[in-house]
Amino acid sequence: MKKYLVKRILLIVPTLLGITFITYLMIRLAPGDYTKLKMGMEGALKSGSISREILEQEKKLYGLDKPIVVGYVDWLAKSARLDFGTSRKDGRPVSKRIAEALPITLTLNIISMIIIYIISIPMGVVSAVKKESAFDRGSSLVLFILYSLPTFWVGLLLLLYLGSGEYLNLFPLGGFRSDWAAEAGILTRILDVGWHLVLPVVTLTYGGFAFLSRYTRANMLEVINQQYIMTARAKGLAEKKVIFVHAFRNSLIPLITLMATLLPGLLGGSVIVESIFSVPGMGMLAFEAILSRDIPVIMAIETIAALLTLAGILVADLAYALADPRIRLEAKI
Amino acid sequence: MLGVMLLCGCSGIAPELDPYTLRIHMGAEPGTLNPITATDSYAHSINLKIYETLVDRDYDTLDVKPMLAERWEISPDHLKFRFYLKKGIVWSDGAEFTADDVVYSYDRIMDPKVSSAQLKVYYIDIQSCKKIDRYTVEFTYSRPYYLALIFCGGMPIVPKHIFNNGTDFNTHKNNRFPIGTGPFRFERWDTGKNIILVRNERYRGAKPEIRRVVYKIISEGSVALQMLKKGEIDLMGVRDIEWVRQTNSKKFTDNFYKLKYYMPSFSYIGWNSQRPFFKDRRVRLAMTHLINRKEILGKLLFGLGEIVTGPFYIFGKANDPGIRPWPYDPERAKQLLTEAGWVDHDGDGILDKDGKKFSFTFTISSGSKFAERLVSILKEDFGKVGIEMDINRYEWAVYLDKIQSKNFDATSLGWSDPDFQDDPYQIWHSSQIKGGSNYIGFSNREADRIIEAARTEFNEAKRNRMYHRFHRILHDEQPYTFMYTSPALAVVSKRFTNVKVHTRGMNYLEWKVRKPQ
Repeated sequence: MKKYLVKRILLIVPTLLGITFITYLMIRLAPGDYTKLKMGMEGALKSGSISREILEQEKKLYGLDKPIVVGYVDWLAKSARLDFGTSRKDGRPVSKRIAEALPITLTLNIISMIIIYIISIPMGVVSAVKKESAFDRGSSLVLFILYSLPTFWVGLLLLLYLGSGEYLNLFPLGGFRSDWAAEAGILTRILDVGWHLVLPVVTLTYGGFAFLSRYTRANMLEVINQQYIMTARAKGLAEKKVIFVHAFRNSLIPLITLMATLLPGLLGGSVIVESIFSVPGMGMLAFEAILSRDIPVIMAIETIAALLTLAGILVADLAYALADPRIRLEAKI
Repeated sequence: MLGVMLLCGCSGIAPELDPYTLRIHMGAEPGTLNPITATDSYAHSINLKIYETLVDRDYDTLDVKPMLAERWEISPDHLKFRFYLKKGIVWSDGAEFTADDVVYSYDRIMDPKVSSAQLKVYYIDIQSCKKIDRYTVEFTYSRPYYLALIFCGGMPIVPKHIFNNGTDFNTHKNNRFPIGTGPFRFERWDTGKNIILVRNERYRGAKPEIRRVVYKIISEGSVALQMLKKGEIDLMGVRDIEWVRQTNSKKFTDNFYKLKYYMPSFSYIGWNSQRPFFKDRRVRLAMTHLINRKEILGKLLFGLGEIVTGPFYIFGKANDPGIRPWPYDPERAKQLLTEAGWVDHDGDGILDKDGKKFSFTFTISSGSKFAERLVSILKEDFGKVGIEMDINRYEWAVYLDKIQSKNFDATSLGWSDPDFQDDPYQIWHSSQIKGGSNYIGFSNREADRIIEAARTEFNEAKRNRMYHRFHRILHDEQPYTFMYTSPALAVVSKRFTNVKVHTRGMNYLEWKVRKPQ
């Protein structure tokens, strides 16, 4: 087990190198670069000798005159020391920009994931146990209707009806804290943030129930038809015990696969939700960086996401062994 | 739910709105407020209140007038510009503004280590910027140019004593904490939320009545409009559909002014004249005749805008109002196409000439809703006369690359000229085909001569007569199908009075605050 772990962790290094190199390659090879975009349309169209010279100067400033491999090695050397460079947009350290955006995204994602898991898994279990019942059909219909509503539409409707004051005035129109809350006490501040988060969290969660509850239902159904469940029933166990101890625990194994996506998923923001609710999180940060070819920011976000994905996969593999004693982790990879 | 109830209570204790605070909507956050490295229009509009330049232009007449300089002298050959600075002007931290700041700013703009490519291109004709004494500076140009005074007099100026401290200019901490000489002073920047300015009590001129300005960063325009209606924003620009459909209730017009005004800008369809189809003037003219600009204006832009016939500001003197737009006339278009040799020889429904089909690609930027809807109308209309059109969409950065490398047949874009410069050199001179903004490849000897001569013509009336002729050439040649100039649409809270629209737009420095009853 220990050997396995060491080997897996060591394998992360070349994988990460591969991912970051390909990312870097792709951004550098993509048409358009930061300076041209910054110079605006007129600037971008200029390619005369003088403007070319100015462009070259500016490229040098950002190391874009170097060959791709050299540029990548430079980036690698710096980021190995946890220096992700400065953002082109505002000249501030990338780490600072991420540190500003991350708490917002994390808060939103953790809350919405908890809500999604707490609601969908029990629903999936009940749907499986009462297969083809009115509850099963009804919940599935409702969840799929929710799933198919576009977020930007729901988000705007929520704001219009619950926040604009034209109908109801229960929630603020976006942002993540009130201006006046800066001087308030800690409890008020937390409540204030919570108050701002209600609508974004609703928007983030409503579409997420369908997938997870259907997934749980399918897994449960498979387990319920196993012979050991029949055995459990045959030996006279209470139905509750059969379902929640014997069946449910075994249906968890496929759910573990989802955990691999959980960690990187926490980091990813939704551009749509962030832009509608004016909460500047990771989604907007990454989106803007890609559109403006802000290489240091793109690389930093990409690296963190890759690292979390790899960690997520490892954690999921370890969790398999914990949940299912039949799986043995051995060091023969 | 308890938390929610509690907080609704809390919002009641939120401080009352200070009537002297103006809250302005911003659709995107600027990266920096350093006027030398900033490029976006939001940074520009904020910096306009914090930083000043040597000369200013009158809000209505556009005449050049003193700002940081009290007067200036221009040498008879129009190459030397000597500015005499006002004495006793202080930066908002109390230090005195002198000629050193001007020279330092010029040096930074031209410094290869400074990320100011967007400005450098405007100052390459300046040979030197010299300090004559503490209150005098002199710019020397390598060639005469009628906009030279506006360029060197409008150069952004930053405080040397703040920026010249040995740290990197591009990442200097005062890029996000500007110190200027203007009527407002920077107070605070909450990233992703607000940028706040307060009145500069050290400002030498008349103090504005507004004491505090909060720029609110809201990326979703429709949400910002709700905030405006709720009373959380006082000034914002609105989209045409909002102007027409969502801002007409009595409640709205009781509380807000609706202001519509034109700034120099126009949209157009550019025909790549290096492509076989569009090399021929008759074909370009036929294309214009096939585009029902009036109907498209009504359908796509709610009738908000004016059809233009040339590149100049329609209310400016360079524009020749005598030139009428070519009418929508498919019959005339067919005739022109036949004259040019484009006839459906093989009877497949598509025009052809010398065995080549009239089938071209219209390239648009995938972010533009207007272009998206425009091309679907054009595709249908062109199809009716036997012209086949495909549509290519690219992300903005990729799109610009395609345009720059002239790898397109036709495209739809717009130009704006926020500083009222008029000079058509960059877009229309044939020298700009290689290495400039003349990416459609327009080349006309007479037009070149006019453009060159106008650059050194210092008599405005004479220059405008030259531009009228140039306007006529463009109208005949149709290198672009000139489309529309669209108005700026703004709504402003009636908490303020004296809200006027000038040639240069609005200026909240002159606004008065309606006394609370």
